[in-house]
Amino acid sequence: MAFLRLAFANLKRHRTRSLLALFGIATSVAVLFSILSFNKGFERGLARELERTGIHFMIVPSGCPHEVASLVLHGSIIPKFLDISVMEKIQKLDGIEFVSPILVAQLPNPQKGRIDLAYGIEMSRVRQLKPHWEIEGSIPADGDEIILGSEVAGHQGLKVGDAVNYPDIKAVFTVTGILKETGSQDDAFMYIPVRTAQTIFKKPSGATAIGVKVKDPAVLGDITDVLSEKVPGIQIVTMNQVMRSISGLAASAKVLSLSVAIIAIIVSAVGVMNAMLMAVFERTQEIGMMRAIGAARTDIFRIILKEGIVLTLAGGLFGIVAAAAGSDLIGVFVRKVMPYAPSSGMARFDAGIAAASLLFVTLVGVLSGLYPAWKASKINPIEAIKG
Amino acid sequence: MILLRDVEKVYRRGSEELHALKGVDLEIGKGEFLAIVGPSGAGKSSLLHILGCLDLPTAGTMQFDQVAVEHMSERQLDALRRDKIGFVFQQFYLMPGLSVFDNVALPKIFTKRGTNKDGIASLIGMVGLNDRTTHFPNQLSGGEMQRVAIARALVNDPEIVLADEPTGNLDTENSEKIFGLLKSLHLRGYTIVMVTHNLDLAQRADRVITIRDGRIQ
Repeated sequence: MAFLRLAFANLKRHRTRSLLALFGIATSVAVLFSILSFNKGFERGLARELERTGIHFMIVPSGCPHEVASLVLHGSIIPKFLDISVMEKIQKLDGIEFVSPILVAQLPNPQKGRIDLAYGIEMSRVRQLKPHWEIEGSIPADGDEIILGSEVAGHQGLKVGDAVNYPDIKAVFTVTGILKETGSQDDAFMYIPVRTAQTIFKKPSGATAIGVKVKDPAVLGDITDVLSEKVPGIQIVTMNQVMRSISGLAASAKVLSLSVAIIAIIVSAVGVMNAMLMAVFERTQEIGMMRAIGAARTDIFRIILKEGIVLTLAGGLFGIVAAAAGSDLIGVFVRKVMPYAPSSGMARFDAGIAAASLLFVTLVGVLSGLYPAWKASKINPIEAIKG
Repeated sequence: MILLRDVEKVYRRGSEELHALKGVDLEIGKGEFLAIVGPSGAGKSSLLHILGCLDLPTAGTMQFDQVAVEHMSERQLDALRRDKIGFVFQQFYLMPGLSVFDNVALPKIFTKRGTNKDGIASLIGMVGLNDRTTHFPNQLSGGEMQRVAIARALVNDPEIVLADEPTGNLDTENSEKIFGLLKSLHLRGYTIVMVTHNLDLAQRADRVITIRDGRIQ
């Protein structure tokens, strides 16, 4: 305890230098903690959203699996279409509970100078396909009725009951429902009945994807095998594959960002080592004095090592508190850079991750303090009375 | 208490050899107040290093309480310095981040025997700094800092106090006070060895030895 007090007192003497070294450690630990928390939250959020999706697999035209994953979760424009006759073939198979087509396309609105994103969906299946949706108003019953994502409604200032006019295609839609904010890309679409979408996009038997729910998930593998054999030119994407695909993307990003964080920690550790070495050199006579009055080499080693640990541990604690306080900002950032992000709770405080980060930073503290401590323990007590 | 027989100290710098002590014989008795004087470079510091067990003779023997120190391990020398020797330095070497009390208590943390708060307070009182216990070194005058250093030297109740130019950084008035303090310690039974350039003060010790060119004259 006395050695620890001595270590604190020494650090306080070089306040600016200690604070700068501490800030370096805090920043890099904050990054490390954020990445680890984010990754855990991301996977948890992804799994939760896939569980809430009311289908077991999607059928899409053959293409990039990441594009498909993005489409499956929140819709995206893929310039390839399935023929709806595929649906009939699927429906004839045993064990299918329902199939439902999705048609996603851009809907230009030259009068307003913008392009809307139209998501054609079977309105009778909305509750099954999007079970987590909360809708203000009602689900459309007619072909010219639509649901608006919260962003679309917000930007255009539309309310339930308002009309949306597309003179180019001579269509006027009535808003019957507005989606409450989901925090995901669902907020950016306008949802129109799939039949209407097929008509206005001139794809009377076209679909971007077909969602399928089976009666017994245990035989999912058998059904997809049969389907692949019987229907050529399609790609079957199960929810597990989507999960793997997106998790894979997130994992690649994680590896990259973890490497950056670890390099940042190594750089900060070198900063700590440098600050401590400078302090040791400046205190040569003082350390010599301590040796003269009876401190063993091991005593000096312990004092300097404790300074390193106190510095990095304090930096680590500070970094974790800062990262936990700023976790919402990380969510905002991730939503901007990732093709998919779960709607909520991406980076929540996790005591296990905090403890692991602190343990890691303590180890870094020990490692960065070893050399200065060894160097200090080698100081000859005669240095003290050279004057 | 301390016995030096034919002690030599040679420093090597590359191929050059510097003979700092050339066959020194010296006996310091318990309770003695010894002053060591001599010009710069004469070997005073080398002698003090050896008396303080900070360095070992190149040749010859030194006994501390009838035990030869030249064959002691580093740990044994650490323990000897810790338990039996008190050091007072010209530059004081107080720890700037510690209060007067903590500075005086510093040697205690290396003994791992715990701190006797009353004992430390009475030492601080003895050097006349009762009202400065919680002050930090930058709040003290040079004379006060040296008094703290003297209290620190006494905290482990040593057998001998080695003072290296204890008044070298002080004005005449404070030099007198510090010397008076060392004298009072001597009267309490401490053995004092003081290296000094101040011949006036040295003359007031029990015994003065002059060292020149590595030899006692």
